[in-house]
Amino acid sequence: MSKKDETFRGVLDAEEKHAHWGTIGVALIVGLITLFIFLFVWRKGRVSRRGICLVGLCESGKTLIFSQLIYKKAVESFTSMKENVGVLDIANKGALKLIDIPGHERVRQRFFDSYKNTARGIVFVLDSFSLNKDIRDVAEYLYTILSDPVVSSNRPQVLILCNKQDHPLAKGPQVIQSVLEKEMNVLRNTQTNQLEAVAEGGNRKSFYLGQEGKNFEFADIRSLRVEFAASSAQTEDLENLKKWLQSVA
Amino acid sequence: MLDFFSIFSKGGIVLWCFQGTSQIFTSSVNALIKAVILQERTGQLSYDHDNVTLKYKLDNEFELVYVVAYQKILKLSYVDKFLNDIHMEFRDAYKNELQLQQFGKNFEISEMFTSILKSAEEWGKLQAAAPKVMKSFEESQKSKKTVASMIERKGDDKENKKVKKVEIKVPDVKIPEPINVELSEEDLIQQKRREFAEKMAAGKNKSKPTTEKLKSPKAASKKSKESRVWPLGGAPKDMETLDYTKDKDLGESPLPQQAVYLPDPKAIGTLQGEVRDMDFESESEEEEEDVEERGKNDYVPQQVSQQKKKTGIFSLFKNLVGSKTISEEDMAPVLDKMRDHLIAKNVASEIAGKLCDSVAAKLNGKVLGTFESLANTVKASLTESLVQILSPRRRVDILRDVYESQKQKRPYVMSFCGVNGVGKSTNLAKICFWLIENNFRVLIAACDTFRAGAVEQLRTHMRHLNSIHPPEKHGGLQMVQLYEKGYGKDAAGIALEAINHAQEAGIDVVMIDTAGRMQDNEPLMRALAKLIKVNEPDLVLFVGEALVGNEAVDQLVKFNQALADYSASENPHTIDGIVLTKFDTIDDKVGAAISMTYITGQPIVFIGTGQTYADLKTLNVKAVVSILMK
Repeated sequence: MSKKDETFRGVLDAEEKHAHWGTIGVALIVGLITLFIFLFVWRKGRVSRRGICLVGLCESGKTLIFSQLIYKKAVESFTSMKENVGVLDIANKGALKLIDIPGHERVRQRFFDSYKNTARGIVFVLDSFSLNKDIRDVAEYLYTILSDPVVSSNRPQVLILCNKQDHPLAKGPQVIQSVLEKEMNVLRNTQTNQLEAVAEGGNRKSFYLGQEGKNFEFADIRSLRVEFAASSAQTEDLENLKKWLQSVA
Repeated sequence: MLDFFSIFSKGGIVLWCFQGTSQIFTSSVNALIKAVILQERTGQLSYDHDNVTLKYKLDNEFELVYVVAYQKILKLSYVDKFLNDIHMEFRDAYKNELQLQQFGKNFEISEMFTSILKSAEEWGKLQAAAPKVMKSFEESQKSKKTVASMIERKGDDKENKKVKKVEIKVPDVKIPEPINVELSEEDLIQQKRREFAEKMAAGKNKSKPTTEKLKSPKAASKKSKESRVWPLGGAPKDMETLDYTKDKDLGESPLPQQAVYLPDPKAIGTLQGEVRDMDFESESEEEEEDVEERGKNDYVPQQVSQQKKKTGIFSLFKNLVGSKTISEEDMAPVLDKMRDHLIAKNVASEIAGKLCDSVAAKLNGKVLGTFESLANTVKASLTESLVQILSPRRRVDILRDVYESQKQKRPYVMSFCGVNGVGKSTNLAKICFWLIENNFRVLIAACDTFRAGAVEQLRTHMRHLNSIHPPEKHGGLQMVQLYEKGYGKDAAGIALEAINHAQEAGIDVVMIDTAGRMQDNEPLMRALAKLIKVNEPDLVLFVGEALVGNEAVDQLVKFNQALADYSASENPHTIDGIVLTKFDTIDDKVGAAISMTYITGQPIVFIGTGQTYADLKTLNVKAVVSILMK
C-alpha cells in the first residue's frame, strides 16, 4: 500500500511539476504578447506623427498657402472658421498631413489643442509687413505655442515663415528674428508672473523659455529647433517652405 | 438686385463668387464671420455692415456658408427663398465633390445662379402683388389672451401686464390641439390667482393696527400700486443735486477727526420708532407670481413627455443604425433641457435662449455618425460654443501693456466702474497688490466722492500695502500713493489732476476708483461717460459680481450704451474688460461669466475670489465650462 502511495504521490508530484511548468509557460507567452503589442502601439504612435500645423494670426496668409500646396492654385479666402486638412505627398518620403488652423483668437486654441499631438512640424506664418503693429500679438501667440507642454514633449520642428515678402516694405527674416527675440525677452517675464487661474491644480501652463539671466534667443530653446524663412504666397514663391517640408518629412 | 453672392467653405476657401458692383466685399464678409458666427450669434440671420445688409445660410452637412449682400436701404423679400433654392441646387449638383471635400475644383454655376435668382425675383414680385391674407383666429394676438385678462378694471394696471406670451409656431405638422390645452391652463391659473387674491384680501383686514397708522402719512390706496420713488433716483430733476461739476465747498478733509459729511436735515426724525416692514401688498404680489410660475412649470413637462412617448419605440432603433440627419424637431427637446440646465446655473435666460438658438442653427442638417447620439452631439456643440464665448477676443496681458507705457514714459490708466456694492474698491486694492509685487508703482485716484468712508477705505489700503512693501525694499520709493480731494468734488477733475501728478512723479499705473451707480440713473451715467471721455483711460473695467442673474444683461447693455451715447465722438471708448467678483460665494453656478462675456464680447480680465489681497485669479476657460456643463 505504501509503495502504491509513494508511486501515486510521485506521479502526482510529476504531474504537478508539469502543470507548474505549463502555467509558467503560458504566463510568459501572454506577457511577451502584451509586451509586443505595447511596443508596437508605442512605436506606431511615434512614427505616425505626420502632421504639419499651419498657425498664425488672422490675415497672415495660412489658407492661401494651404490651397497652393494642396490644390496647386490660388483661391480667394475669407476668415476661416474651421480647420482645413489636406494630404501632401513628398517625393520619396511619403505623405504629410497639412492642417490649416484658423487664426481667430477665440477658436485657435481649441483647434490647435486637437491637432498638436500629431504635429511633426509647426509652421508659424506671420505678416512681414504689418509686424510692427502686431508684434505683441504675434509674440504672445508664438510664446504660447512654444511653451505648450505637449509641444515641448513631442519636439516638433518649428519654422517661422515670414510671409508677404512681395510687399516693398516687408522686413527680412533676420530683422524679424531680432525683433521677435527682443519681444519674447520681455514676454517671458510677464507671462511667468501672470495670476493663477481659477480652479487650477496649482501648476502653471506656460514656463520659462530659453536660459535665465541671458537675453532670449531662439537658439537657446534646447527642446525645439526653430528656423526662419521668407516666402510670398501671393506670387507663389514657396520654395523655402517646400525645402523645409522635404527636410521634415 | 444682389450686389454680392458667395459660397465658401467653413475653412475659408471660396468656391464661387458673384460680384455685381465693383465694391470690395471681403471686409464685410470677414466682419460678418467675426461678429456673428464666431461670437455664437448664429441665431440672427442678417447682419448690417456699412450700408450693406448681409444674409447668410449655413450648410452643416458639407460645412459650407452661403452669403448674400445687398444695399441696406432695399428690403428684398426673396432673399431667404433664393438662399434655400440655391443651397438645394448646389448640393444636388456637386454632392460627390463636396463629400470628399474637394474644394479646389472649379465650380461653374453662373447659369444655375442666374436662373434661380430670376425665379426668386419673380416669386418676390408675385408675393408683393398678391392680396394680403387675413390672419386666422389662432394666429392673432387675441387668442393668446384670456377673457378675464381683457376686462379692464380701474387701477388694475399690474394685472394687464402679466399676460403671458404663448409661443405658437404656425402649424405645419403640429396639431392645433396644444393651443386649446394651454388656454384652459391659463384659465385655471387665472382662477387660482383670483381666489388667492381674495384670500389675501380677507387676511389683510385682520392685520395689526400699528402698520395702518404708520402707513397713513404715505396715503397708499389699497387697489392701485404706486410706483416706489427712490430719492436721488436719477430723474432729471435730481440733476442739480447730483451735479458735482461746480465745487460745492464742503470743507477740507485731511484731518480725519473733523466731521466732513453734513447730514441731510430733512431726514432727521423720520425713522423714529420701530423699523417699518415692507409694504404688505408687495409680499402678496410675490406670492401670486410664485403660484403662477409653479402652475406653468407643472403643466408644460406633461405635454412634452406625451409627444416623446409616441415616437419613443422606433426612434431608439433609428438612433442606433445608420446615418440620420438632424432636424429642428429632433433637437427641440434636447435644447430645452440644455437651456433649463444653463438657466439653473445662473446664465441669464435671454442669453441661454440665444445660445441654444445658435447651437440649433449650427447643427441643423448635420449628419450623425452611426454611434453618435443626438444628446451627445448637442452637448459637445454647446460646450464648444461656451469655450468660444469665454475665450478672449484679444490679447490680455496687462503687465506687458504697463511695461509698454513705462517705456513711453506715461502712466497706464485703469478705471473701475460698476453698480453699487460689487466690490470695486476691494478688487482695486487686490490688483494694486499684484502690480506692486511686479515692481510697478501705483497711484490710486479716489474719484468716489459720494459714498461715506470711500476715501478713508482707500487710505487704509494704501497704508497696508505700503507696510507690506515698504520703501526700503524698493529703493526708497513709496509703492502706493493716494490722490484724493475729499468729498463732493467733481470726479472727472480729480482724475485728470491725478494723471498729471503721476506723469510728473514718474508713477507707472493710475487706478481710478469711481462711485457705484445704477445703470438707469441718467445724470450719474453721464458723469461717468464724461470721466472716461476727458481722461481717456487705457483700460475701462466693468466690475460685476458673480451672484448677479438676469440683471447682468441690463447692467452691461446700459453701461455700454451710456458710454457710447454720452461720449460725443466717433469712436467711443466702451468697456474693455470685466472683473468678476465674489466668485467664492457661488458654488458651481458660474453662469454670470457667460452672460457678461456674451453681451459685451470683452474678456474677463480678473476674478475676485475673496477679501484678502491674494484672492485674485484669472479665468480658466476649460475648468469653468466643465463646471457649467456638469
